[in-house]
Amino acid sequence: MKRVINFHKAFLPATLASVVVLVAGLISLATMGLNLGVDFQAGINQSVRLAYPVADVSYEGPGSPVLSIGAGELSLVFSGADVDSRTVSWNLRTVGTIADLAGLLKAEGVTMAVRDGAGLSADLLVPTYQGDYTLGASPRLVHRAPKSSAEAYGSIEEIRASVSSLGSVSVQNVGGADSMQYLVRVSDDGSDKSFSETIPGRIRAALESAFGADKVVVIKTDYVGARFSEDLSSSAWKLSLFTALAILAYATIRFKMQYALGAVLAILHDCLIMIAFMVWTRMEFNTTSIAALLTILGYSINDTIVIFDRVREDRKLDPNAKMSAVIDRSVTETLGRTVITTVTTLLAVAALYFFTSGSIKDFALALIVGIVSGTYSTIFIATGFVHLWDKYGGKRQAKAGKLAAKPAN
Amino acid sequence: MNKTKRFIIVLVVLAVAFAFLFPSLQWYAMTPKEDQALALGSREQIREYAWRMARADLAEIERLVAASDAEPLPERFDPLVKRARKIYKELGIAAPAAWDAKAFLAAFDNRSDALAEIEDYYRSHVLGLKKLHGSAVQLGLDLSGGMSVVIRADIEALEAKVGRSLSSAERDDAVERALEVLNNRIDKFGLTEPVIRRQGDDRIYVEIPGAADPDRINSIIMGRGKLAFHIVDEQATASLAAYLEANPLAISDDLTLADPSQIPAGTMVRKYYTKDKYGLDEWTGSYMVIAAEAGLDGNHIESATVSSDAVTGQPEVVFSLDKEGGEIFYALTSANVEKTMAVVLDDRVRTGARISGPIQANVKITGFDAEEANNLALILRSAALPVELIVESQQAVGASLGEDTILEGRNAVLLGLALVFLFMLAYYKGAGVNATLAQVLNLFLMFSILSAFNLTLTLPSIAGFVLTIGMAVDANVIIFERIKEELRDGKGRKAAIDAGFAKAFWAVMDGNITTIIAALFLSQLGTGSIQGFAVSLAIGNISSLFTALFVSKLLFDFNTDVAKHRTVSIGWRVK
Repeated sequence: MKRVINFHKAFLPATLASVVVLVAGLISLATMGLNLGVDFQAGINQSVRLAYPVADVSYEGPGSPVLSIGAGELSLVFSGADVDSRTVSWNLRTVGTIADLAGLLKAEGVTMAVRDGAGLSADLLVPTYQGDYTLGASPRLVHRAPKSSAEAYGSIEEIRASVSSLGSVSVQNVGGADSMQYLVRVSDDGSDKSFSETIPGRIRAALESAFGADKVVVIKTDYVGARFSEDLSSSAWKLSLFTALAILAYATIRFKMQYALGAVLAILHDCLIMIAFMVWTRMEFNTTSIAALLTILGYSINDTIVIFDRVREDRKLDPNAKMSAVIDRSVTETLGRTVITTVTTLLAVAALYFFTSGSIKDFALALIVGIVSGTYSTIFIATGFVHLWDKYGGKRQAKAGKLAAKPAN
Repeated sequence: MNKTKRFIIVLVVLAVAFAFLFPSLQWYAMTPKEDQALALGSREQIREYAWRMARADLAEIERLVAASDAEPLPERFDPLVKRARKIYKELGIAAPAAWDAKAFLAAFDNRSDALAEIEDYYRSHVLGLKKLHGSAVQLGLDLSGGMSVVIRADIEALEAKVGRSLSSAERDDAVERALEVLNNRIDKFGLTEPVIRRQGDDRIYVEIPGAADPDRINSIIMGRGKLAFHIVDEQATASLAAYLEANPLAISDDLTLADPSQIPAGTMVRKYYTKDKYGLDEWTGSYMVIAAEAGLDGNHIESATVSSDAVTGQPEVVFSLDKEGGEIFYALTSANVEKTMAVVLDDRVRTGARISGPIQANVKITGFDAEEANNLALILRSAALPVELIVESQQAVGASLGEDTILEGRNAVLLGLALVFLFMLAYYKGAGVNATLAQVLNLFLMFSILSAFNLTLTLPSIAGFVLTIGMAVDANVIIFERIKEELRDGKGRKAAIDAGFAKAFWAVMDGNITTIIAALFLSQLGTGSIQGFAVSLAIGNISSLFTALFVSKLLFDFNTDVAKHRTVSIGWRVK
């Protein structure tokens, strides 16, 4: 038999530590607030990239080939009645210079009129972010990235200055100054009905007037209207509440009231810890964050239930033992499982964290915090609560039981 | 249950899962890009593709006949030859030994039969691919690139315009009108098949995969439907049909003729549409030559209803015009008696009606079934009472951005899996192999369920899968730790495994059921990305219950009874 670790002695200090962190978190939430993402704030988020216009691509011939550039590859898809259906693609890393590429395209009947930078590597071409180009007689403009960081231009201040006339605007740099990628956000106060239609064009126009025509590539545009974001926040709240209630109900049926309360308290704890983390790190709070919160909710409850299951079993094996002893024994017995499960889940999530970017990276980070908190809360908050309930609430019942039993003795 | 039975169940589950997964494999791994591009086109584009291909092919074959070329047809005609062979067989005639152009044509009664057969071949080929795409796992917008827009019909503005509050039936009609106009406009746009559906009372959800240019799409969505009446030049329509029959490629996508002298001055070519059985516009395959100038603008329509003729019971569309419209219409109809008038919505001919005599304010059109009548009335009303549309939310993701995201997501998933598997193998040794097998199976099941229910794969759902694998291992861990405990208590292999599984059963079940509850609630949150994540989480939980409790037990039992293992390889300090 393994040595039983006296977990119950740590319940009080752990609870105090949690309370301190949670209170600090709630204060920050009240004072700083969450960094609400586009899903919760009416407005437009437009990702733009400054670049150099490099060539005009056109095609005169039967059919209309579709050009796409991305992930180091340029491909042309010919399909339809008038041409031999085929896909031609080139690896931009190995194809050579832009002039070389123009030569290859020529052989396919596609004209690539290079404006400047013919001698630069084709790898610099900017992806066709706005969907693939259907080529025709009127030329489509293709851009390239700067050849070195010396050639990079534009700064976050310049961008901010150029779009400041559009209203309440914020600008963020994405991927470092050399990437020349920015996220421009314009809030929608609901006064302009055609906001969503006109603003993307005006952002572009403002940037082009500051940096030169044809130098702006729009990567993506997201818009959320006021009513939509309100609906989303209210449904998010309702759903979290219902989820907690449903879990409470299920755990009450399968276990006892105090276990269910302990479990819900633990998941509440985890969610608050994660929210505090998001407040402190100024991580954007969006629908993905809600997904992270709800995932941890599921993870933490799973973790808690496994230990409760063991507590219930150990209690049956030795009904006269003190609750604190039963809890210590159960937590110790399941400790191996707790550690291994935490490690494997963390391995999977860490892979997400290190190898993705943007919202998924944030999502993974929030999960890491949640998993650690979930494991901690299972042991110290959920079982701690059951212990507390038994110590105070349970004692009265036990006394009443003893009194009732006495006459029979 | 004995092992054989359980083994058969596992095999059956695997087979069913594979059957569900197969269309996805076929589409993503075995269909060339150019075929994908064709299949993703709108039904209209497919129709047009088949129309042109058939005429071009037939012209080629006829040329071979004229040159009395007795060589077998080139290889690319093989699928057509196969169809011709079938016709020979049905007619009970011996198929020719060599399939030259003449023998091929001899299979058909006349030219138009041959055309219809070839056209049908191309159409069914592409539509088959389209169907395949429909049953494959769909990629969400964040992976495929594209744009999604939530639009709200501005009922308040409409109420302000008519000066009273609308009944719920009228509101419904207003949203239907907006849908009609949207369908009509977006369909025209598409490289890829758009999704347009009603969401709640007054919202419309539009998803356009592939294209992510908000300016272009906005102008299409927000533009109002333009309705007009044009007089049809029937003579020119007939001669154009004959001309195009002979020169199928003489008309371009934007409906200009290679030889403009084919139609009289002051007229233009438009395509004639009907609704297909899905309520989508479908090109009938014919063109109409109509007066370039509209005879009457749709703005003059005041109302439009469907009723049935008092005598014949035939459905009829009745619409009334304002005073000015009535005068114009009277002049138009008196000058064009016995001609056909086309109803044109956004440059598409929707219906044609013969003018039997001069008409003033109240127009009655007959000659179609009830459904067509309803469609026409809806179109006419959309001009009478245009509904303003407001963009509620809009998301555009470039296709290339999607490709990068897929790569990133895939690498993260693979690495996460590899790490988890390595850990399990190192920690649990023999049992780790068991757990790894169970997880691989789990992943396979998750994708096939995704495929079976036609769910959309998004980046969050990929994240959901990774997380599920991390958590699904938990079920294995709980069981293995339990078995270890039983072994420590001195039980033998079989007894320890049985007790381990039995005792861990409810812990695993309870944990998973609560997670599934959370996932189900999560899936109700109205945005696509979270739904994808929640669904994948729920699917993962269910399939991991199966693999951890059922498959993994079977693997242990197999090793005990068939491979005759006496001890359990389940860790470093346990024998």
